[in-house]
Parts: sequence; C-alpha cells; structure tokens
Amino acid sequence: GVAEPAPPPAGSPVIEEPPEDTKKKIDVLLKAVGDTPIMKNKKWTVERTRTIQGLVDFIKKFLKLVASEQLFIYVNQSFAPSPDQEVGTLYECFGSDGKLVLHYCKSQAWG
Amino acid sequence: MTDDKDVLRDVWFGRIPTCFMLYQDEITEREAEPYYLLLPRISYLTLVTDKVKKHFQKVMRQEDVTEIWFEYEGTPLKWHFPIGLLFDLHASNTALPWNITVHFKNFPEKDLLHCPSKDVIEAHFMACVKEADALKHKSQVINEMQKKDHKQLWMGLQNDKFDQFWAINRKLMEYPPEDSGFRYIPFRIYQVTTERPFIQKLFRPVAANGQLNTLGDLLKEVCPAAITPEDGEKKNQVMVHGIEPMLETPVQWLSEHMSYPDNFLHISIIPQPTD
Repeated sequence: GVAEPAPPPAGSPVIEEPPEDTKKKIDVLLKAVGDTPIMKNKKWTVERTRTIQGLVDFIKKFLKLVASEQLFIYVNQSFAPSPDQEVGTLYECFGSDGKLVLHYCKSQAWG
Repeated sequence: MTDDKDVLRDVWFGRIPTCFMLYQDEITEREAEPYYLLLPRISYLTLVTDKVKKHFQKVMRQEDVTEIWFEYEGTPLKWHFPIGLLFDLHASNTALPWNITVHFKNFPEKDLLHCPSKDVIEAHFMACVKEADALKHKSQVINEMQKKDHKQLWMGLQNDKFDQFWAINRKLMEYPPEDSGFRYIPFRIYQVTTERPFIQKLFRPVAANGQLNTLGDLLKEVCPAAITPEDGEKKNQVMVHGIEPMLETPVQWLSEHMSYPDNFLHISIIPQPTD
C-alpha cells in the first residue's frame, strides 16, 4: 500500500505486516489545516520514493474526498512541493525529530 | 564587484537555438514546417512556446489538438524543469540546434505534469523559490516580503526583465553579516543514468573550521561517483548553465551567482564526451 500506520507503542498486540521490500521508509505526520477533515490516524510510515501526488491520492481516498476535489500539501507551513517530489528527499531536507510533518488543506493555505 | 554582476547577466540572457518539429504521427491538413526559436535557459518550456503552439495549430484540425508536450529523442521533456537544465542534461554535447519534437496527442501521464495554464507555472516557480528560501534563511526573507514582491519575481521572469527580477531577488541572496553564507545551499543534482529524479540534501556553505565549502566538497559528500579519482580518467562533466565550473569554486558563490531564478543550483552530471 501507499502508507502504513506507524508501529504501535510497545506493549500493545503485534500487528502482522505484509512482507516489506528493501526500500527504506520514513515517518510522516499529517496535520489538517482549516476546516479540512482530520485524519483519524495521523502518523504514517511511507516509502522514501513515494511522491507527493501518491500521498495526495492516498489522503483523498482515506478522507473519502472526490477525485476532482483539490488537496494541497505544505512543508514547514511555507511551500507546496511539486507533485512528483519524493517524500524521502523532503524528509532529508525538512524532517525533524525523526519525522516529516506535512500540512494538508482543501484550499490554498500558504500560496 | 563588476565581474560578478556580469555573471548574473550572462546567466539570465543565456539562449539555446532550438528547432521544433511536429511529431510525424500528428494529423495535419498540410505539411508542418519546423519552427526555430531561441529558448531562454532560465525559463520554462510552457512559458515561452506560445508561438510554437500557434504555428503548429495552424496546420491541424481543432479537434486533434489537446495539451502540447515536448520530447527529445524519445524522452518527454519535463516543463517544470528549467530549459537550460533540460538541455545540459539531455543534449549539451550534440550539434545545435536542439531538435525538439512537438506532440498534441497521447500525453505521457507517467512522465509529465499537466500544464493547463500560466498560473500553474507561476505556482510551481514560486513554490521552488519558497523551498530555496526555507533552506537559505528558514523562510524569513521570503516571508518578510509582500505579495507584490513575489509577483515582481514572477513578472520579471515571465517578461524577461533582469532589473525588475533582481531588484527583489537580491534580497534572497543576502545573509546576516555575522554569517559567512546561507544556512544551507539550495541545490539539485541530476543524472540521466540513475533511477532517482535528483539528489537534494542539506549542505552547509561553510565547514566546521570556517572554510568555504567548494563544489568539489559538495560532490564528494552527496555524489562521490561524479568526482574523477586522483589518477583516473575523467568520466563525467559537472555542468551548470552549459559550463563546467572549477571544482574549487565555493558553493556559496555558485549559489549567489549561478542559481536559476528559482534560487536553486540545478547541476547536471553527464558523460564526458569521447571526441
């Protein structure tokens, strides 16, 4: 799949994960902006090579948004990366505390 | 320094002589003549090819025309990469003019982003400028600017107005007097031979010992395969705006003088020509 929920905290029952490929994954924290619906699960583990467009499609499906509805993703609450940008690169440059925080919005928030 | 300011002008006014030809399978009502154009290295294909589109649409039926897209020797050209980068990466060691094939059908969804309007180009350009400033100044300089200043950057690029553009862009090239340069250098390194689209990492212009980091230092850190070993044969060219800067060049200087208008250093690693 596009993204997996982040591993559960220690002590909780182990969830069986499908066999992983050798690509490394990064942790992403998704934050809703304005009156955009909030995702119940905010923390996701995503392959480095996943693109922003791939993430947008995933969030839209998860939030049950129509394909034609727009969804904007922002890094550092300051810029919207290109749809073909890989999350791994964004994590390298703009990640903090072991994760990449991305804000998502149905309308343009930061231009 | 006068010399350094000249570099800014040389970069801005760089042009690539290009010959646009219609793809042979496009349906035309009569033969399509090639269209010749000098393309600005610093701009984007969909921003500067309105005349190309008009020229070929004249020989086609309205219903056969959908979104225009460009290809070079079978490779779709990403309009959201600057023209100079596309040329350096794909065609710099071939004879001029650059021969680009024009398509109006079968848009390659997997390879290209759509470009329905100039607004999309502006949004992409401004997003790159903002990302660059996030790296250089933690977005402080770009955020302090007014909307009209952002607009002036775009208008300067769109209308090929060097002074209009640099009146604002010079602020993005400043740094606090107590520092020796930007926080991090906005750069992207491209190679045709690899799977990944480009290399972009955090890289400081100044080393821990206070020395200015060079282009060679940058490559050693993020793309060591591009560097020729001590007694080895030179296998690659490291190209920016059609030239190979000396590896001793400080990256801070390169960032200030040879970035594209989006404030990124777009660097191509290409095979050394054999002749």
